[in-house]
Amino acid sequence: MSTLVIPGDEITINPDVPVILGPGMYNDPVTRDILPVNAGILNTSNSKKGQTIYVEYDSKRYTPAVGDLVVGIITGSFADSYRVSLANFSTPVSLSYMAFPNASKKNRPTLVIGDLVYARVCTAEKELEAEVECVDSTNGSDAGFGLLDGGMIIEVTLGFARSLLFNNEFPLLRDLAQHCKFEIAIGVNGKIWIKTDEVKDTIACYRSISDCQGKSYDQFRDIIKKHFQEVTTTVEE
Amino acid sequence: MAKDIEISTSESKFILEALKQNYRLDNRTFDQFRDVKIQFGEELGDVLIEMGKTKVHCKISSSITEPYEDRPFEGLFFISTESSAMAGPQFENGNNTGEDEVLISRIIEKAVRRSGALDIEGLCIVAGRKCWAIRANVHFLDCDGGFVDASCIAVMCALLHYKKPDITVRGEKIIVHPVEEREPVPLGILHIPICVTFSFFNPMDMEENVKGESNSEIVIIDASLKEELLREGVLTVTLNKNREVVQVSKAGGLPMDALTLMECCHKAYSITETITNQILKEIKIDNEKRDKYSAILSSENARETS
Amino acid sequence: MSRLEVYSPEGLRMDGRRWNELRRFETSINTHSHASDGSSYLEQGNNKIITLVKGPTEPTLRSQLDQTKATLQITVNLTKFSKFERSKTTGSTKNERRILEIQTALVRTFEKNLMLNLYPRTIIDIEIHVLQQDGGVLGTLINGITLACIDAGIAMYDYISGVSIGLYDTTPLLDVNSLEEAAMSCVTLGVMGKSEKLSLLQVEDKLPLDRLENVLAIGIAGAHRIRDLMDEALRNHAQKRISNASNK
Repeated sequence: MSTLVIPGDEITINPDVPVILGPGMYNDPVTRDILPVNAGILNTSNSKKGQTIYVEYDSKRYTPAVGDLVVGIITGSFADSYRVSLANFSTPVSLSYMAFPNASKKNRPTLVIGDLVYARVCTAEKELEAEVECVDSTNGSDAGFGLLDGGMIIEVTLGFARSLLFNNEFPLLRDLAQHCKFEIAIGVNGKIWIKTDEVKDTIACYRSISDCQGKSYDQFRDIIKKHFQEVTTTVEE
Repeated sequence: MAKDIEISTSESKFILEALKQNYRLDNRTFDQFRDVKIQFGEELGDVLIEMGKTKVHCKISSSITEPYEDRPFEGLFFISTESSAMAGPQFENGNNTGEDEVLISRIIEKAVRRSGALDIEGLCIVAGRKCWAIRANVHFLDCDGGFVDASCIAVMCALLHYKKPDITVRGEKIIVHPVEEREPVPLGILHIPICVTFSFFNPMDMEENVKGESNSEIVIIDASLKEELLREGVLTVTLNKNREVVQVSKAGGLPMDALTLMECCHKAYSITETITNQILKEIKIDNEKRDKYSAILSSENARETS
Repeated sequence: MSRLEVYSPEGLRMDGRRWNELRRFETSINTHSHASDGSSYLEQGNNKIITLVKGPTEPTLRSQLDQTKATLQITVNLTKFSKFERSKTTGSTKNERRILEIQTALVRTFEKNLMLNLYPRTIIDIEIHVLQQDGGVLGTLINGITLACIDAGIAMYDYISGVSIGLYDTTPLLDVNSLEEAAMSCVTLGVMGKSEKLSLLQVEDKLPLDRLENVLAIGIAGAHRIRDLMDEALRNHAQKRISNASNK
């Protein structure tokens, strides 16, 4: 069951259970009312700790939040950090040389300008420049972060990227996997990196993922099939 | 233009690699021009052109003014191109002095105005005293490459579509008849220039391009935004249906073999032909739609011709 | 005969040249050795230009700093007294669209020829003063820059030579002057060395498509001739400098 909420709507919640507020929700400090501040689909879930409530909304502009997995482009390098762009025309974030697995003062990472990295947002204070890291500082593992070599970038809306990454029922990757094998890194900043063995497969994946945005699940299979057929016929011509 | 869009090395390498293997991201062949969608507005001379995601709007307006002193028998014709942040965040509001903006407006100026596509002598009303001033305002609404091509089509469509009010001259006095009173008159169009833009990519290194004999450079027609950002050279050819070269502009960039460039010009001609025909056809359809009284006013007898 | 004849039936042009003849081409190199790092003075017919190259130097603005290659900046100063009649426009011509277009075209032409990747984080500033103009200025500007850059010692792949060709009826006329330029449609070429590769190609007026190939062929031949003239001038100049140096 999905309910659409719009900023200012009234929300009925069970007052006896503690409430955890997620993105898109706001607690008025005076009246103690809980109000949605973004337009989207209302999500509620109950757990032992209490009820979680948040708004799932789709936007184009990315704002960093702690714990987000992102794909960024290195745009500059300084004495002790890289500058990383997470989205065009947005404030860049920084990536410290020490935020790599096995990093030390002598052991510098070898990324160059223009490289793609998969990283995790570690600080995101609104007054400060956000920081990302290529090592999971919560447990010290490298967790697949770091340089993304080769491949191609697809830009999608933030909501689409989130459902691709978190929604286990989302059939797109499963359907794609039936056509070719690929490596993929999904950034919640709306950038998806994909790499396959052959250029034509990457092209087909690129077109399929771009086209599947905003379509219903049952259309995915046909879209993917169409694009894979197209790339094979172009070769034969 | 488009300076701040960041493209990663992987992405640029991939696009070039795909081009080497004959693929373009949007499933077009190298010589394929995007489909042009022409939409006419309610008013005359109001046109919206769509080519893929690129959107360009053009509106023609006219007024009566005094001609230039040194050209008493000619009317005035201005084209102003305006890029605003509406077309994309890479464009700055009110800043039209960027390299690309200047090149775009100069090419359109040369293609349409300097080539005499509009009969400006026909805009003269009283020599040295009164003439029509025609203005074309081009606005870029959305950007996915190919601005020059799209805006040239937009200006030409709008000029063909526009009709200025009819006038009567009695000595010094000029009477302008409202559109409701008298059928307005179309502008005199002498030829229809069409711009076709080619983008060049270098699959090898610079040395091979300068010294090599292979001429392996990749040539594609009507690049999309990403391709425009990555291309190493660009050539805009403007032709009309009479097999005339109206304007050619290759302002630097990758050095290209003269024969390849000639080949581009010939390819451009067939595209010019198709687009000209499409424009004329759509103008005709729109005119018929507007001309609701023609059936009544027609002097021919309606006769079955079976 | 009151009207000047562009091309007489005997095959002579207004200034007495034949269709395939270039104008007088005279050049001096290293004319402003104190003020700049490389300079040239070029007379191509009645076109007279001074080119000064400064650089590679540290850029004054941060925005001009490129991590991977040198930034190329070209400023063209068309002086007001350069034409037959003094230009009436008040104020500077610096921001005129036509000048901006020429500058952009020159930058993009030389960006691919100069090996800018050898001088990262610097700026190369080229300044051109047009003292007198008489048709085919863009071509002359290209030649001037080529000579000055060689003098400045900036690494480049090859010469770029520029020339304008007009088409009179069906006869292509090489290296047009301003009277010819006004009377017919012209093509400007920038040719890379001795190859048939065009770095710059500009057609500004109507021209039959089927004649274009012919015009290009004449133009390329003319540009190759200009390249030889530049080469000769440079070698003469270099010879002088070498003999001066060995006398010490």
